[in-house]
Amino acid sequence: MRDLLNNKNFRWALAAVIVVVGIIVAVTDPVRFQILITSLSEGSFYALAALGIGLLFGVLRLVNFAYGDWVMLGGYALIVPSAAVTSTLLIGSFFPALVVICIVGFTIIIALLSEATVFRPLRNTTPPTMMIASFALGYVLQNLIIMIYGGRPKSAGIFPELLQSIDLAEGVSVPLLKIVTIGVTAILLILLTLFLHRTSVGVQMRAAAEDFRMARMLGVRANLVIAMAFVISGSLASFVSLLYVSQLGIMTFRMGTPIIVFAFIATVIGGMGSLVGSVVGGMVVGVSSVVLKNILPDSIRGFSDAFVFAIVIAILLARPQGLVPAKSASERV
Amino acid sequence: MTEPLLHIDDITVHYSRLAAIRGVSISVNEGEIVCVVGPNGAGKSTTLLTVSGILNPTSGNVMFAGNRINGMRPENVARLGISQVPEGRHVFTALTVEENLRVGAAMRKDKAQVNKDVKWVMDLFPILAERRRQSAGKLSGGEQQMLVIARALLTNPKIMTIDEPSLGLAPNIVDRVYEVLTTLRKERGLTLLIVEQSSERALKAADRIYVLRSGQIQLEGSAADLQDGEEVRKAYFGFSEGTEHLGEVEF
Ligand SMILES: Nc1ncnc2c1ncn2[C@@H]1O[C@H](COP(=O)(O)OP(=O)(O)OP(=O)(O)O)[C@@H](O)[C@H]1O
Ligand SMILES: [Mg+2]
Repeated sequence: MRDLLNNKNFRWALAAVIVVVGIIVAVTDPVRFQILITSLSEGSFYALAALGIGLLFGVLRLVNFAYGDWVMLGGYALIVPSAAVTSTLLIGSFFPALVVICIVGFTIIIALLSEATVFRPLRNTTPPTMMIASFALGYVLQNLIIMIYGGRPKSAGIFPELLQSIDLAEGVSVPLLKIVTIGVTAILLILLTLFLHRTSVGVQMRAAAEDFRMARMLGVRANLVIAMAFVISGSLASFVSLLYVSQLGIMTFRMGTPIIVFAFIATVIGGMGSLVGSVVGGMVVGVSSVVLKNILPDSIRGFSDAFVFAIVIAILLARPQGLVPAKSASERV
Repeated sequence: MTEPLLHIDDITVHYSRLAAIRGVSISVNEGEIVCVVGPNGAGKSTTLLTVSGILNPTSGNVMFAGNRINGMRPENVARLGISQVPEGRHVFTALTVEENLRVGAAMRKDKAQVNKDVKWVMDLFPILAERRRQSAGKLSGGEQQMLVIARALLTNPKIMTIDEPSLGLAPNIVDRVYEVLTTLRKERGLTLLIVEQSSERALKAADRIYVLRSGQIQLEGSAADLQDGEEVRKAYFGFSEGTEHLGEVEF
C-alpha cells in the first residue's frame, strides 16, 4: 500500500478520482451540493493560512507560530484601540476596498517588524530556536492586545452583505461569503503562482527555498528574498483575518490559536515547505472537517475534530513526508 | 609586477575550534588558470567557500582587485564578479534548466546582454537548449555540471572558482568540461581558480599549481616546472620514498 502511495502518478490519479467522485456525489443532491460549497470554502480558508506558514518554512525553515497572531492583529486593526466594552469600527468603517488595502498593509508591516526585530537576529541559529522565538513573539503580541483592548471578546461587523445567502441552484442556498472565500483563495493562488514563476524575484525565491547558500553565491540577496517571503506571508494572514472576522463578527486575543493549529497540521500533511502541499493539506483539513460534521451521526457529531485528527494521523502514517513533499537540497546558511 | 586579481593572503579558517586551513596564501592573476590540488580533507573546499564569503577567516584576508572582501556577504562577493561552482554542483532541482540560468543572471541589469549570454551558453552546451523547459533535477550528472558552469557564467564573472568539476563524472565528460573551461579563458579572458583531487588534468589545464595538504600549502609552481609530476606527488602525499607502491593511484 505504501509503495503504491509513493508512486506519484498513482497519487495524482487517486486524488483525481476522489475529487471527481466527490463532485458527482455532490451535484446530484442540493443538500450535498451545499456541503460541497461549504467544505471547499473551509478548505480554501485553511489553504490560505497554510500557505502563509508553508512559504516561510520553505524559504527560511521557520515554523512561525506567531502567524496566527498576525491574523489576530489584522482583525483588531479593524476597530478603535480601546478597552471599552462596545467596540467602534476604525479601519473597518472605510469602504470595502480601502478596508482590504489597509488591513493588508497593516499586517505586512507587522510581518516585516517581526522579521526585523525577532527573526533576522536569529537567522543563523537553528530552526528549533526560531520556532520557540515565534511562540514567544505570539505571546507578546497577544498580551499587547490585552493591554490595549482588554481581554474580553470584541465585536467587529464588517462586510455584512457577505452573510446574505444567495441561490446557486434549485434548493441550494449558501452565504455569499463561502463563494467569496473560494474566489479570493483561487485569485491569490493564481497571483502567487504567477509571481513565483514569472517574476525574477519569484524565481530567485524558489531557488533560495531549495538551496539558500547556492542562491546567495549567485548574487541572490538574502534580505530581499526573506523580506518578500514575509510580505507575502503577512498579506495572506490579512486575508485569513478578513475572512474570519467577516464570518464570525467577533474577535478574541486567542483567535489565532485554532487557526494556526489547523493550518500547521495542513502544512505538515501536505508536506512542510511545499506550496502545493500546503494547499492540498488545507483542503484535506477543511473538507474533511465539514464533511464529517455533516455525515457523522448526531451522537458523535460533537467529536468530529477527533475524526479529522484521526485522518491526519492516518495520512502521516502512510506518508510521513507529507502528501506533496518539498524539494529541498540543503540547510540554509 | 601588477597586483593579482584574487589574492588569498595568509588565511586561517576554523570550524568551531578546529582549524581546517592554516596560513594559506594563493594568488590568481587576471587571465590565469590556477589549480589547487590536494587529497580528501586538505581544505580545498574550505578555501573556496572563504573566498565566496560563506566562511570567514579567523585571520588573514581575501583581496579582490586590491580590495578586502572577507567579511562581505556572499551575495555581495558574487556581485563583485566572483562566481563559485561549488562541490556537489547544487542545481536547483525544483526549477527548470532555463530558470536555473535565469537565477544566475538575476542580479544583472544589462538585460539585452543577458539574453545574448543565455543564447551563448546554450550554444556552448547544446544539451541545455534541448532541455531548457525540463526540470533541472532530471539532468544527468554531467549535464548538471554543465548547467552549473553555464549558470555561473551568466553572473558575468571576472573570476570563476570551481570545486572538483570532475567529481563523479565519466572521463570523456571531464574532457569536455575542461575543454570548455580552457576555451572560455582563451576566448573570453575568464580567470579560473580550479580545485581538484587529481593533479593529472590540473597539470594539463593550469598555468600554475598549488598543492594543499592538511590545511597548508605544500608546494606552488608553474605547471611547466612541475610537469613531470614527481614533486607534486611528494607534496601531495607528504613523503618522498616509496612512491612506486602508489603506482595504481590515478593522478
Ligand atoms: N562543516 C564542517 N564542520 C566541521 N569540520 C569541517 C566542515 N567541513 C569541513 N570540515 C573539516 O575541514 C577540513 C577540510 O575540509 P574541506 O572540505 O575543505 O576539504 P577538501 O579538501 O575540500 O576535501 P574533499 O576533497 O574531500 O572535498 C576537513 O578536516 C574536514 O573534516
Ligand atoms: Mg571539497
